[in-house]
Amino acid sequence: MSILKDVLADLASMFVADARLTGAILALVAVAAMLVWAGLPSLVGGAVLLVGCLAVLVLAVRREAARRARR
Amino acid sequence: MPDWTTAGPAVGAAFLASLVEVVEAFTIVLVVATLRGWKPAVAGTGAALALLALIVVTLGPLLALVPLAALQLVIGVLLLLFGIGWLRKAALRTAGVIPLHDEDAIFARETAQLGAEVARSKTAQDWIAGIAAFKAVLLEGLEVVFIVIAVGAGKGLLGPASLGALAACALVLVAGALAHRPLTRVPENTLKFGVGVMLSAFGVFWTGEGLGIDWPGGDLALLVFAALFLLTGLGAARMVRPVPTEVTS
Repeated sequence: MSILKDVLADLASMFVADARLTGAILALVAVAAMLVWAGLPSLVGGAVLLVGCLAVLVLAVRREAARRARR
Repeated sequence: MPDWTTAGPAVGAAFLASLVEVVEAFTIVLVVATLRGWKPAVAGTGAALALLALIVVTLGPLLALVPLAALQLVIGVLLLLFGIGWLRKAALRTAGVIPLHDEDAIFARETAQLGAEVARSKTAQDWIAGIAAFKAVLLEGLEVVFIVIAVGAGKGLLGPASLGALAACALVLVAGALAHRPLTRVPENTLKFGVGVMLSAFGVFWTGEGLGIDWPGGDLALLVFAALFLLTGLGAARMVRPVPTEVTS
């Protein structure tokens, strides 16, 4: 049971290492999907997805660095 | 013949990601072999590889039943979560905010931990050691399986991506057999940075394709995405690099 628990915990941590990062990425994909499915040119959704992911990366790195600096 | 504009990054990502994961698993297997000999180490590793093969053989054919757009969307989102997570950590390590992964330190820590655990048990010492090898290979192996599926399944490149992963396994085994010590010279953070960049680029690409976005330039867009993630990751690392404090005498 301990092995199964460790495997499941490891699998979960692969995708949810940082809950806020995970939430931000999922929200971004949802926004991009809405833009594409609303009938806007698909590249608008694509640009939002790409630029959003780059911004999320920078914010996640800065937030974690600031958190560690405060310790 | 696969189109190498897409197959190249897929094989490269599978190879580099697998290299990182297999080096980590190899360190634990080496701990087991050092403490209890090669028998439990090989038994644990073999059992984990057999279970991984069973998982792949059982679940692999099911992928063909999922509509391509849905598969690309799900895998794309998972790749974004996994890839940007890796990239974030690699950027923090590059900046010196969190310490680099040190296989020697991990080897020493795991040896002490497993040694204490084995010493507590009077009867099943080889069993405990074998389980440690099993768990390490299974956990790292599952990540390799995910990465191979993630970079390969979207465009029928499972074969080339698997070859990339197998080449990484073979390379680590040969290097490990020659060195007989943890593979500390592998530039793990640089590899993780590169893999994070590629997985994130694949993530945006597959997610977009799954949503019905026509990327300009087709598969070549992947290379543009990778360049943007690389520049952004390096820029983020530079942004948070701690300023060295001057020592006054």
